[in-house]
Formats: sequence, structure tokens, C-alpha cells
Amino acid sequence: MDAIQELGNIGAAHAATTLSQLLSSTVEMSVPKIKTVDIAQLASYIGEESAALVVFELQGEIPHGGYIIIYISRKSAVQLTNTMLGLTDPDRPLNEMDESALLEVGNIMASAFLDATAELLGFVMLPSPPALTIDMAHAAMQSLIAQMQDEIDEVMLFSTELVCEEHKIDSDIIMMPETSTLKIFVERLENLMKSS
Amino acid sequence: MIGIGEYHIGPESMMAIGLGSCIGLTIYDRDRRIGAMVHIMLPESSGRTDRPGKYADTAVPLLLNKLSEMGCHRSSLVVKMAGGACMFEYFGNNLNIGERNVEKVRAVLTENQIRIAAEEVGGKAGRTVAFYPDEKGKVTVRSADGAAHEI
Repeated sequence: MDAIQELGNIGAAHAATTLSQLLSSTVEMSVPKIKTVDIAQLASYIGEESAALVVFELQGEIPHGGYIIIYISRKSAVQLTNTMLGLTDPDRPLNEMDESALLEVGNIMASAFLDATAELLGFVMLPSPPALTIDMAHAAMQSLIAQMQDEIDEVMLFSTELVCEEHKIDSDIIMMPETSTLKIFVERLENLMKSS
Repeated sequence: MIGIGEYHIGPESMMAIGLGSCIGLTIYDRDRRIGAMVHIMLPESSGRTDRPGKYADTAVPLLLNKLSEMGCHRSSLVVKMAGGACMFEYFGNNLNIGERNVEKVRAVLTENQIRIAAEEVGGKAGRTVAFYPDEKGKVTVRSADGAAHEI
């Protein structure tokens, strides 16, 4: 479990660095959390609040490996695109320009996360083209869980919070691997530890 | 609050929050003034029996049987359905689970000669569904922008 946590740590650290560069500001990162959540209890973890979710399928050597989700509360999403686009109104509605900006940020963060974890594990993981939704967070997560390859009653979520105090932006980078992918992660990490 | 794959039967208010491709199915018995609600995630159980509320093909008969055991008559049941959205078109390509959920629920209800009194399904947006058996089986649907309306 420690090794898996380290995997999330390295991925999130790289994502935090790229976000920090994008915003030209400091980004603090929480300790990565690993949670096993029964699907019936998903609502106590992710509620119906409106949020922007940029979603990528894990591809590469494992064709359907699970999902990477960049979760940004609606408020933070406006702050984030305002910072990028040089705007100031915190209460404006999100438009197409914001959507492209959010997709771009998500893309950069997910790529950084996957590059770092893939390098550690020694195999290729690529993000699919991104999909964006700005809607009820629970509804989006539920839709992803329903279309996972492995039929499951529990999901494992690797979640790390990235916070930029200066611009009041709070985001989460969440990895939700398929059970089969998680097995491969564990095997690889065990081998790495044995050989080192 | 009814989580994914869960169900509840009784006279009290019930709610399923943040339905994406999932379905919130409600059945209200006009005579006995009780309701049943289930939060369905997938169309087919493929033989699995441990979580009957999770699948359309097992959830619908489950509720109908439970209500029947309690002495409810089919003729007094009012069935409503909400959910079955497709939030991610890109990933949805050949597996629009929301649509398949809706079709399966409809098919199983038809097999049981029960018609749907009201529904709000499909589209791209998430929904929260609330069910009030104590208010004549009122069902409301709310989207992310917060506006709740009765169906």
C-alpha cells in the first residue's frame, strides 16, 4: 500500500508542478489518499455539487486501464480560467473559452501525472483525448463507474488535493484504476522493490 | 438517501442524488400510500444476485414482488423514472449505458404489463430525484443549476 501511495505521490507532484508553472504561482499538494469506496456510499465521498471534471481514460500498454479525473469545483474553475485568461469577475458563467482552457489544463496535468507514474512503473500509460463535463460531480463519477470494464461493487480512488492559495483554486486529481490495472501496478511495484 | 444499487420501500421521503447514466425508479401505491424507490446502475445482472437493486433486469421484479407481498395491487401502482443521461459522449461511443438502462427498465415493465406514468430520461445532464410517498407520490427532478420540478 505504501508503494501505491508513493506512485500517486509522484504523479500528483508532477501535476502540481505543471499547474504551478501554468499559474506562475505556488501550488500546495496534500498527502495522496487512497480510498476504497463501496458504490452505494459514493455520495458520501462525492456529492451533487456542481464541478468541472476533465476525464481521461488510461490507455497505452493497458488499453482500458481506468480513469484519471481532474476535479475542480465550479468556483475554482472560474478562478482558474480567470487567472489564465486575465479576467477578474468571479461570478461569471463559464463559456466555450473556459471549456477549452479547462480541457487544456486537464490535459497538461493528466499527462504530467501519467508520465511520472509510467516512468516509475516502466510501461507506457497515455491519456485518451479528454472529455469535459461541468455538472453534478456524483453524476459524472457514477457514469464513469458504470462503464468500467470490470464489474465492481467497490472502486479504489487515489486522490490528491492541489491548492493554489494565491488564486483561491482548489482541485483534486483522482485516479480510478480498473481492478486488473491495479493488480499490474502492485506486481510492478513489488518487482521494483525486490530488485532495488 | 438511496445509494447506487440500493432500494427502499416505505411511506417516508426518499432521494437519489447525482444520477448520470443511473436510473431512479419510483413506484407509488395509491391505495396503501407507500412508495418504493431503486437506484439502478446497469441494465443486465448476468446472473449476479448479491445486489439486485443495481441492475434493471433484477431491480424492477424485486420492487414489484416486494410490493405485491405487502398486498399492493398492480392496478394502483404509479411508476415514474428519471436518469439515463449520457454525460461523456466521447467515452460513450458504443456503450451508452444510460440509454440501455432506460430501455431495459421499459422492457421489464412492459413484460409485467405496467406502463410508465411519467419519465425524464436521456440528455447529457445529471439529475437528483426526490420521491414523496406522503405527498401522493410526488416526484421531483433537479439538475445542477438547482431548479427542481415535478414530473
